[in-house]
Amino acid sequence: MSAKKTKVVIVGGGTAGWLTAGILASRFASEGQQSMQITLIESPDVQTIGVGEGTWPSMRTTLQKMGVSETEFMRDCDVSLKQGTRFDGWARGGKESDDHYYHPFSLPQGFSTINLAKYWQPSSGLPLSSQPLSSQPLSSQPRSHQARFADAVGLQSSICHRGLAPKQITTPEFAFNANYGYHLDAGKLAVFLNKHCTNTLGVKHILDHVISVNADDDGYIESIDAAKIGTLEGDLFVDCTGFASILLGQHYGIKLQDKRDVLFNDSAIAVHVPYQGSNDPVLSHTLSTAQSAGWIWDIGLPTRRGVGYVYSSDHTSDDAAHDTLMNYVSSSVGSAQAKQLVGRKIPIKPGYREKFWHKNCVAIGLSAGFVEPMEASALVLVELSAQMLAEQFPADRPTMNIVAQRFNQKFTYRWEQIIDFLKLHYVLTKRKDSDYWLDNCRSETIPESLQQSLQLWKTQVPWHFDTPHIDEMFPSASFQYVLYGMGFVTEVNCLADRSHKKMSLQADALMQENQKQIKKLLSVLPHNRDLLNKVAEFGFQKI
Amino acid sequence: MTNHALVNLDDHKDTRIIDTRSELYGDNVMFTMTFPFEFRNIQQCYPIFFHKNSETGALYPVALFGFKDKENLFLNSDGWSAPYVPLMIKRQPFFIGFQKDQDDPDKRSAKVAIDMDSPRISADEGEALFEEHGGNSEFLIRATQNLEMINAGNQHSEKFVAALIEHDLIESFSLDIELSDGSDNQLLGFYTINEDKLQELDGATMESFNKQGFLQPIFMLLASHSCMSTLLGYKNATLV
Repeated sequence: MSAKKTKVVIVGGGTAGWLTAGILASRFASEGQQSMQITLIESPDVQTIGVGEGTWPSMRTTLQKMGVSETEFMRDCDVSLKQGTRFDGWARGGKESDDHYYHPFSLPQGFSTINLAKYWQPSSGLPLSSQPLSSQPLSSQPRSHQARFADAVGLQSSICHRGLAPKQITTPEFAFNANYGYHLDAGKLAVFLNKHCTNTLGVKHILDHVISVNADDDGYIESIDAAKIGTLEGDLFVDCTGFASILLGQHYGIKLQDKRDVLFNDSAIAVHVPYQGSNDPVLSHTLSTAQSAGWIWDIGLPTRRGVGYVYSSDHTSDDAAHDTLMNYVSSSVGSAQAKQLVGRKIPIKPGYREKFWHKNCVAIGLSAGFVEPMEASALVLVELSAQMLAEQFPADRPTMNIVAQRFNQKFTYRWEQIIDFLKLHYVLTKRKDSDYWLDNCRSETIPESLQQSLQLWKTQVPWHFDTPHIDEMFPSASFQYVLYGMGFVTEVNCLADRSHKKMSLQADALMQENQKQIKKLLSVLPHNRDLLNKVAEFGFQKI
Repeated sequence: MTNHALVNLDDHKDTRIIDTRSELYGDNVMFTMTFPFEFRNIQQCYPIFFHKNSETGALYPVALFGFKDKENLFLNSDGWSAPYVPLMIKRQPFFIGFQKDQDDPDKRSAKVAIDMDSPRISADEGEALFEEHGGNSEFLIRATQNLEMINAGNQHSEKFVAALIEHDLIESFSLDIELSDGSDNQLLGFYTINEDKLQELDGATMESFNKQGFLQPIFMLLASHSCMSTLLGYKNATLV
């Protein structure tokens, strides 16, 4: 592979295919020796799934590295800015308006040096430093009387709560006042990246059907045959064919490991909801509202909302789920308009492949695995997979086997982490209003690893030891946001800690500083809709 | 909302404009917009940087008068203490208003407009807009010329800034200033020209910049930075 031009063939042209193409192509020049020719072949009549409408902040770096203008991206892909997720009705359900919490992208203040969750003592009203050094219960009081965890330790939840944007029009592109990712139209993103990859990054684009896969004696894929263009040779093949998983799943027979016993949701219906007025507010967080058999996502783009109910077919029927979704939509647009919306059914097979890289074939995107779209894990896994492929791109077959092995280990771990983290959202509920919530809390549905963590977190606040890898999907802050957002109680034992007094003074000061920063930011940040209008009219500056 | 009006004889026969420089009339500004064509005059008095319009994010050149909001170190009880007063200060309280053509709604023509809420407006003090016989006064003629220069200068300035951004020549900077009272201060939110990048520009770009009238203002802007020490001197003098 080292002497000639390395040929990478990406099969499938959804967001996974084009993101992979862009990430690879922006790392390897397409001209000159030792370079890479990337070809993306996609079937002309396969519809992309396009449920991934939320990204992580990592997408900013991904796009920046590809040389994309943020302004053009935002204008072309119907993009809004996302600062995290708000979870409504997950802890207790019903009509309680204060049953909500934020999982923002920004970390708690001073996160690299101090674990503020340990000192978050909102219930007592006493200065933190004057409390006894004995066992101190966290959040043992009714939630409504406390400063919420996210509000106390960070600034982003307060920004989201007021519908403000994470930056100003004077903030340069990709820079921020508060960390952000995007809400976007996934179909438009694929088209946008297609244009950038083919026009600027030298990616070859072929519209054709793959009809067969040709392997050599060792089982490596030599080429694929397509209906019109014939044989297409390659050194490495990336399977971005979505649920079909034509190469890894169909050709190699690598099985999907079913995780429905942990994450019950196996269906979704999605609708596009128009705004009532062109200047209606656009939330800068994903709104996730718990229902009796799943949850509803509500994502605001500049031109429409994307709303969908993701549910367990064991706990509700498709018709009942449809009614639940229509009820939700009606509450904002009225039942007359809700009735005109056409829902699109999306099947979900929660799980991931036994491995993702086999021989010279890597699966990226839905072909590798898929779980319910909570916490926007789909697109970030594509980014992480393509980045590892680019950074560790093997020079020859012996190294390819090593890289493949590491890739498989790494992403198996990541899927396990994602599944544990998603399950965490369910197991802390106090809801008993349906079998769905009761079943979610049954211990046989909770992975052993998560059960152990939960046991540990009863007396220890999640911290860096809970996330041993340097490139973890979720920092321990994310566990904190969900745990204390849901009202979990950690009985922190501070007795043995000599530095407790000093640290609690420091924590006290940080939390006060946080309130000052919030006040300042609230006075300068525009409403998200206003910022989006300005981006459409003026765009962001590069500096 | 400000009270804007197109200048006309019927409404403004008796309107007078106070043309002295004072805090009373809103001249206590930290900086003002400036245009490449006046950089030669500006650079002998004021440092020139870029600043962002808070409404649009667009960068534009400014002449700096002070180090904090509402601080104009060139303003004192005698008026303006520098030999050249920037056009955007001089133009007050006039601005360019646009009037739709009655026959063709797509066509707009630039007119002299006035901010009727400006404290410069007076009935008995200052310069008249119109002569007794109804003709435009010298003062109004000069004000009109100023606005015409601003209008043309602004279009050129936008192209100037766009070319600088395209060639990656603008960078943000923060300036740490130690004043004579020992306090440390930081000047934030301003941008300047990256001299390293400027030196790397190829001949063709230089030639194209020169033809478009961008080259001279670049060097005028860089030269203007020697005025920072003057400005600092004024600032320190206020602390004594």
